[in-house]
Amino acid sequence: MKNLLNMIIIVLLTYLLNSCSSSNKDSRDEILYWCSNNNDEIKFAKLSTDEWNKNNPNDQVKYQAVPEGRSSEEIILAAVVGNTTPDIYSNMWQGDVEAYAQAGVLVALDSLNGFLDFLYERCDSSVVEEIKSLDGHIYQIPWKINPIMLIYNINLINELELNGPPKTYSEVFNASQKFQKDFDNDGYVDRWFGYSEVEVTWWQRFFDFYPLYLAASGGAPLVKNNRAAFNNKYAIEVFSFLQEMYNKNYFSKEKLSARQDVFLAGVTATRFVGPWEIAHAEKFKPKGFEYEYNFMPVPDDHIGPVYTYGDPKNIVIFKTCKDPQAAWNYVKTMISDEGDLKLLSLTNQLPRRKKLNTNPFFSDYFLKNPKMKIFADQSEYVKGTDASPVLKEIFDLISQQYEACVVYGMKTPEQAINDAADAVNLLFLE
Amino acid sequence: MLVSPYLVHFFLFVAFPVAFSIVLTSHKWNIISPMEYTGLNNYIRLFNDKTFFKSIGNTLIFLVIHIPLQIIVALFLAEILNQKIKLRGAFRGAFFLPVIVSGVVVTILWQQLYGYDTGLLNRLLTGIGIAKVGWLTDPNIAMSSIALMATWKNVGLYIILFLVGLQTVPTQYYEAADLEGATHMQKFFKITLPMINPTIFMVVILSTIGGFSLFIEPYIMTGGGPLNSTVSAVLYIYKQGFFYYHMGYAATLGLFFAFIILAVVVIQKKFIEKDH
Repeated sequence: MKNLLNMIIIVLLTYLLNSCSSSNKDSRDEILYWCSNNNDEIKFAKLSTDEWNKNNPNDQVKYQAVPEGRSSEEIILAAVVGNTTPDIYSNMWQGDVEAYAQAGVLVALDSLNGFLDFLYERCDSSVVEEIKSLDGHIYQIPWKINPIMLIYNINLINELELNGPPKTYSEVFNASQKFQKDFDNDGYVDRWFGYSEVEVTWWQRFFDFYPLYLAASGGAPLVKNNRAAFNNKYAIEVFSFLQEMYNKNYFSKEKLSARQDVFLAGVTATRFVGPWEIAHAEKFKPKGFEYEYNFMPVPDDHIGPVYTYGDPKNIVIFKTCKDPQAAWNYVKTMISDEGDLKLLSLTNQLPRRKKLNTNPFFSDYFLKNPKMKIFADQSEYVKGTDASPVLKEIFDLISQQYEACVVYGMKTPEQAINDAADAVNLLFLE
Repeated sequence: MLVSPYLVHFFLFVAFPVAFSIVLTSHKWNIISPMEYTGLNNYIRLFNDKTFFKSIGNTLIFLVIHIPLQIIVALFLAEILNQKIKLRGAFRGAFFLPVIVSGVVVTILWQQLYGYDTGLLNRLLTGIGIAKVGWLTDPNIAMSSIALMATWKNVGLYIILFLVGLQTVPTQYYEAADLEGATHMQKFFKITLPMINPTIFMVVILSTIGGFSLFIEPYIMTGGGPLNSTVSAVLYIYKQGFFYYHMGYAATLGLFFAFIILAVVVIQKKFIEKDH
């Protein structure tokens, strides 16, 4: 009886483990493509795969929205752990790629026929360098970006009688001072020039410190050769700028995001956001509300183009793919001129490709969507993230110093940046 | 044979995870890459990790505020609700209501109440000429605010426990005390409190266990800020494990924290045994 019980347990466990580890690839020949689970991108995936399948009966591609979860990043991680990854995934945050590349779960795309030629035709060499992994291979193809810019309320800015939206730090201070109001004279500010989340969560710095740092530094990296590279005057200037914004209550320290949209309600005159705000604003803006975008503010002595963070999402092919070359052939059509135009029209997200703003193939779209043209112009000067498997920790360490210095004024910007850099360097030593 | 379902469950969901997490403490593992043996590195890192010890300190601060507050408020309300007052049933139900409401919902609601510029509490304070309080933005106050909210959320459960305790006190004791001319306060301190001592200990233990697992409130309300003043030990372990995928280190922190809880429970048990 005891032996029988042991056998049953072993058989059950073996069955369970097999179910967990074996992917369902043996039961299908088609290529599985996971797209983002927002409706517009699902529409794009459907159109794109339908067209491909019509012309390629031997290499059928099946699209599927990434399964529901708290975040697509967690779902992908679970799929990697369970060995149930799709063949193609199109919404990979650039900062995640290095860790997956080092784990050996991604196909080195530069080993595929025609990849490098295609890539250099699509992107500038600076972008190619940016997406190159630490081992020298390329595991991702740049797909789309959503650059972070300064959105401003035209009517409120006009009330301040300025020469347009503020472009430099001192112009922002001047505008903030004029804009700040205590309507009921209770000694407390009722409207602020801007708003940024004060939470220490690492990715919140994509909407304040990081784009401002890229703007001030002309797109400088945060880390280089496994060392912190941000302990420079630009990072200190950004911390000083933001510290003053909080210190003078031009930015609210309170969490305002849980209530109504503070920008659309006129409680703030500006915010740092991406193009996704256009669809939101068009849907919910009050009557007469007008808004426009501009570059991120820069130090007064800044010269040259104004960079920002592009929030890049890229396409990867997982090693579980049986035929990476066929998968790549499909991806090529997905990001062709026609594919990118489809992406723009359906999702209002910018393809990451060179000369997007001047390419006549896209000019009709930008004529019809002038606000998106501003982002297309900006797209020439966007950066993603540095290749590092510990990127989240780096942003977390910066974020902790950000809170201590910028929000609570407990450290000088110089101290805070030095402390963050020291902590990052320690991280690389571990 | 009869205990085999339990044994399978025990090995799969208790013994294996515990053994695996102990193994993890000597490894570096980010889930997607193979495990790398690192010896005692995780333990060395733990003893140098100021934020972790701050998170334990924060958890203890929470307990120090939360437990006495919970007991005083719950006992006070239970004492009132034990009297023959009008609408007693309705009041008992009303106080229990927050217990059955989702913790996430309660937390979001209190986050709104605690808003610095727009929250109801500060509006009330400024209305009577008192300066606004940084309920969740002042590092010295944020943990107390969370403890206050947690007390409001859980007090209903402890009122029920105290009510049960109060109703087990024989009425003859009070009658005898009345004959001796004892005051209400004397009866409370000389009869009620000693008689409900076991209930108080139970409340202390339940509150301690609940307090050690403090997570939802700081996770949603403050994210652990400001300046890490509300990072609880569980939140910090969670962040290490599921934000940064430092599974080996998170397991080490978890094991260490489990020993701290064990020590506290043993001390509490000793007190209870001594009392009995």
